[in-house]
Amino acid sequence: MEKQSAFNIHPMDQFIIDPILTGDSLEWYSFTNQALWMLISLVSISFVFIYGSRKHQLVPGRLQSIAELLYFFIRDMIIDIAGQEGLRYFPYIFTLFILILFGNVLGLLPYSFTYTSHIAVTGFLALSVFIAVTIIGFVKNGLGFLSLFWISSAPLALRPILLIIEVISYFVRPVSHSIRLAGNMMAGHAVIKVFAGFAGALGLGAIAPIFAITAVYGLEMLVVVIQAYVFTILTCVYLNDALHPGH
Amino acid sequence: MASTSDNSAVGMPQLDFSTFPNQIFWLVVFCVVLFAIVKFFIIPRMEDIFANRRKIIDGNIAKAEEIRLRVNEIEKQIEEELQKAKSQCDEIMSTSGNNIKEQMALALEDSKIATTQLISEAEGRLKELRDGSEAAIEKISEELASEIISKISRGK
Repeated sequence: MEKQSAFNIHPMDQFIIDPILTGDSLEWYSFTNQALWMLISLVSISFVFIYGSRKHQLVPGRLQSIAELLYFFIRDMIIDIAGQEGLRYFPYIFTLFILILFGNVLGLLPYSFTYTSHIAVTGFLALSVFIAVTIIGFVKNGLGFLSLFWISSAPLALRPILLIIEVISYFVRPVSHSIRLAGNMMAGHAVIKVFAGFAGALGLGAIAPIFAITAVYGLEMLVVVIQAYVFTILTCVYLNDALHPGH
Repeated sequence: MASTSDNSAVGMPQLDFSTFPNQIFWLVVFCVVLFAIVKFFIIPRMEDIFANRRKIIDGNIAKAEEIRLRVNEIEKQIEEELQKAKSQCDEIMSTSGNNIKEQMALALEDSKIATTQLISEAEGRLKELRDGSEAAIEKISEELASEIISKISRGK
């Protein structure tokens, strides 16, 4: 432990779930730093979408522009990918999008907690999408939903092999869906933290890691938005598969 | 064990399964509240803004269309008026041309009559003059004859 103090980098400490009200014991209901940042995210979302557009301006101001941009961006995306039928699920997909987007973006604030960097959170979201999409697929198409795995445009001999590949890839979806997001968030934040540790240890030479932090931070600004977008667009693609399984 | 605030993380805190029930509980609460906000506040508001904008834009387009129609109508009226004026002008021109021709013909006739009158008058005068001169010649020749006769007779 003494040796560590010279080069004190704990890049993973920022992800520790910390019960901030109930002392040290973590029960399932304890209010944690993660719950706090979910609350902050909720307040931010309300600020942008409800306070920001309270005047219902015809020509939107700054906040209302942001709100409208995000809203219609997701709306158009659903229509483009899943068609008009997909619009029924717009509230769910939009909720998912702003939940992830605000989690990612707020996570970039120093000393904040990124709830989307936790596999429990992204795994839960991805699993919800997976289960919901599977149910929608069977409800809308009955057993016809299984034609998703039986590629009728491929030669007959190849179809059993494709069936296996398709089934595996279908069940891998929630895993890749959730790990992609959590992994991206975790990696970026850990990298920033490592460079920050270097900066603390190097004294005057810290200018190099600080420059690196700035660069990585810029990259992360891009990544947080792109990952929220990717998660949402994949949700739309899966939804489209459920609505129109026949390719 | 669950990580606590004063210890540093061992490995990845993400894989500390003892925190999962807590995380998922708060996530579910968060999702439900957020969904309610989206459903009951954000979507109605955005749709309202969008519908309002649509309405105003449509209204403006309709108004523009109306104005365009009116402009077309006015243009047509102008065209009609122009056509009318043109035809009127043509009419006036043709009637005045006819008038002039008529008058000219009339004048020509008049002058012809006057000329023939003058000619006949002149002829009359000429004839008169000729008649007069014949008579005078006769008279003179008579006188002359008588004078010659008397002279001759006297000379005898």
